Amino acid sequence: MRSLDYLLRRGVFTVVTIFLTVTANFFLFRVLPGDAVTNLSRVPHATPELQHALMVRFGLDKSKWDQYLIYLKNLLHGDLGVSFTYQQPVTHLLVEDLKNTVLLAGVGTLGAIVLGILSGVIAAWRRNSALDHLNTGLATLVYSFPSQWLGLVLLILFAGILPAGGMSDLFLFDSPPFWQNIGDVASHMVLPTITLILTAYGGYTLVVRSSMLETLGEDYVLTARAKGLSDRRVVWQHAVRNAMLPMVTMVALDLGYVVGGAVLIEVIFSWPGIGMATYTALSQRDYPMVQGGFLLLTVSVILLNFLADLVYFRLDRRVSA
Amino acid sequence: MRNRFRRAAAALLAVVLAAGGVTACGQAESETADGGVFRFGANQPIDSLNPFVSVVSMAFSVFEQIYPTLVQLDPNDKYAPEFATDWSTSEDGQTWTFHTRPGAKWSDGEPLTAADVAWTLSTIAKFQDGPTAGLANYVVNLDSATAPDANTVVLHYANPVSNVLSRLMSVPILPRHIWQKYAEGKGEALTTFPNTAPIVSGGPFVLVKHQPKQIALFKRNPAYYGPKPHLAGFGIQFFSTDDAMITALKSHQLDAVQSVPATSVRNLESSGFTVLSSPGMRFDSITVNANPKQQAAHRELTNPLLREALDHAINRAEIVKTSLLGHGKPGGAVIAPGTADWTDSSIKPPSFDLGLANRLLDQAGYRRGPDGVRIAGDHPMDYPIILPEDTYSGAGLRSFQIVRGDFERIGVRLEPRLLDNAAANEAAMANKSQDFAMTMWGWSGGTSDPDDTLNYLTCASQGILNDTGYCSKEWDDLYGEQGEAMNPADRHDVVNRMQQLAARERPLLVLDYPDAIEAHSPSWTGLTPVGGASFSSESKLPLLSVRKAG
Repeated sequence: MRSLDYLLRRGVFTVVTIFLTVTANFFLFRVLPGDAVTNLSRVPHATPELQHALMVRFGLDKSKWDQYLIYLKNLLHGDLGVSFTYQQPVTHLLVEDLKNTVLLAGVGTLGAIVLGILSGVIAAWRRNSALDHLNTGLATLVYSFPSQWLGLVLLILFAGILPAGGMSDLFLFDSPPFWQNIGDVASHMVLPTITLILTAYGGYTLVVRSSMLETLGEDYVLTARAKGLSDRRVVWQHAVRNAMLPMVTMVALDLGYVVGGAVLIEVIFSWPGIGMATYTALSQRDYPMVQGGFLLLTVSVILLNFLADLVYFRLDRRVSA
Repeated sequence: MRNRFRRAAAALLAVVLAAGGVTACGQAESETADGGVFRFGANQPIDSLNPFVSVVSMAFSVFEQIYPTLVQLDPNDKYAPEFATDWSTSEDGQTWTFHTRPGAKWSDGEPLTAADVAWTLSTIAKFQDGPTAGLANYVVNLDSATAPDANTVVLHYANPVSNVLSRLMSVPILPRHIWQKYAEGKGEALTTFPNTAPIVSGGPFVLVKHQPKQIALFKRNPAYYGPKPHLAGFGIQFFSTDDAMITALKSHQLDAVQSVPATSVRNLESSGFTVLSSPGMRFDSITVNANPKQQAAHRELTNPLLREALDHAINRAEIVKTSLLGHGKPGGAVIAPGTADWTDSSIKPPSFDLGLANRLLDQAGYRRGPDGVRIAGDHPMDYPIILPEDTYSGAGLRSFQIVRGDFERIGVRLEPRLLDNAAANEAAMANKSQDFAMTMWGWSGGTSDPDDTLNYLTCASQGILNDTGYCSKEWDDLYGEQGEAMNPADRHDVVNRMQQLAARERPLLVLDYPDAIEAHSPSWTGLTPVGGASFSSESKLPLLSVRKAG
């Protein structure tokens, strides 16, 4: 019963947070100076008629309150509106961007998690050895690199070896064979993915190392060693599993940000993802696009937080107390 | 289990890398048999393939390749036939008659006639206060567009229009049989039709594939009425940073790049690429608020002596050398040297003379305060200057540092306000341009005609485009006069007088004219930019002439 109560409370809290986010998204961007009409009408010979036509087309001639009610009503029907810039449904545009981002940021984040766990466990296992110092030092060093700087350095270093940008550059009239297409996208993914992994794995390394060191000092680890289990088995089968608890929140939060994408990395490598789309939409004051982008970002973070709560609830009954 | 996983992962990686290798080495090879595919890199994506929605120049450059236009520019900046074979003007300059190519067809086999031209222009004119307002500039004063026969278009204007050809040059002629169903009622459907690939085309190329923000691919249009392109097709890959685009060119992922940053020129030249530099159509400038009703805190900015002093405190030679790395010219007239032959060559860049600037400020009565900053009335001459993203994200920041250093030496302090473009625009227009003191931005004029730049400074453009606070009856009268001057020599005379007026009254302190720079691989030849660009909304000729070298 208490479990149900806990889940219900978390669920209601999540729904209220999403509603507040939706409202904040609507008003936040309208507070910014400048709007899409002045932006789009900055073309030679623009006239007041053009500005008025754009205002009507975008629905900006209505009061803010009316615009908000229309936005809420459309949202309840799953309609995120029509992009001011592209005159296409936002949902359609964002789905394309989302697919691209989830591919890049998903692979990058998972890569960073795996590499971070491996290097963190090894660092703790070989504590105070040269390997530990080298490993932790390297992780901290690359963690401190700004991602756009590292991306540019990799771009220059691998010029001519790996594609410099974009997601695909097959200038072929007919659809390329499946594997050639996969290979093309994969080769374009290498540099941005490596940039993502290198700038993110250090955080996991440090958390895992610290958690592992704590776990390795526990009595049951001592008992396992006393029973004559091999070092490798003690570390990987007994310690690692218990040391992973702090990673749950970190991973859940980071996976939430996967949807938001890595804006700077997407921009550096011209990756047509949601981060770049949101950034562009913001500078163009394309309210429906930017609202849609932020909605996806915030809702995914909130839902993954909720998921993290549920996982914690499952793993550790004390949280419901 | 674990070994099996490793083997599977290794196999997958091998396949991916092998396929990637095929991609890197073999792409486009299969397409080169018949003229090849010319691969462009661009830093601006297509916003929409619907001409009534799009506002970016990249999209209009695409429309130029897939749709007919009545006329186009040639490499000497003269108007050349395109879908129109010849044209004539009535004596009063109000009626223009164009003869079009007989027997032309759209890519779907439907006849392409003068009726398509008349329909396109009439539709733009009909809905110019609504759905087609973005193209209204092309049909200013157009009363009617008719097609008395399949190969003749007659345009009647309410009054003489001096730059009809310049306006028509960029109007994409649309296939009436595709579009007319969207022009019913109030024409609102004209803006919701996405016009996605494959698009029914009448130009030398057909857009066969468009992945937004990634790639656009064009195939030769066998139905094109003009000379056949050497190319089998061409593609554009879109980049969000110049660094990635230039790297892609150097690694032969691309064949050509438009808008090469000055910082990359030497590098590309030393790597064997052909770099083409043309006089630019753009100028960078400082706007010193000219609005006499501006805030009291900086109203002295309208003082002609102060404006003259600021103009002489700009080290244009240093800006060209440091910011543009020599790839540009010092600024003077408001018409850039890339706009055909419209620049008034008698207007020279103001001299860089800090002594003169200081004397002018002394003469105006602005004494230096204890900290070296001059005092105007009750306040120090310390001005916020708006730097939009266009300026601070590029070489403009270096120019600003040069200007700020020199202004400091004449006792005028500048405080930069970095804003994104939308916010900067809002700040400059706020309160009828009474609030801002200065901005540092720029303006891109037309390739063949000065009208866009001249229109920018009119009183009617205030609050829309004119972000200078400048409004002058003399300017507006001259603007009207040049718009109706049907004799080119007369029009040149009026346009020169307008440039001299701008040089005297200084609504803009023109800093420099950056060159238009593009680069391509030496494997291609015959690429002659028109108006500084090989791929623009003004001419089909460059892509019709480019071909594989050797």
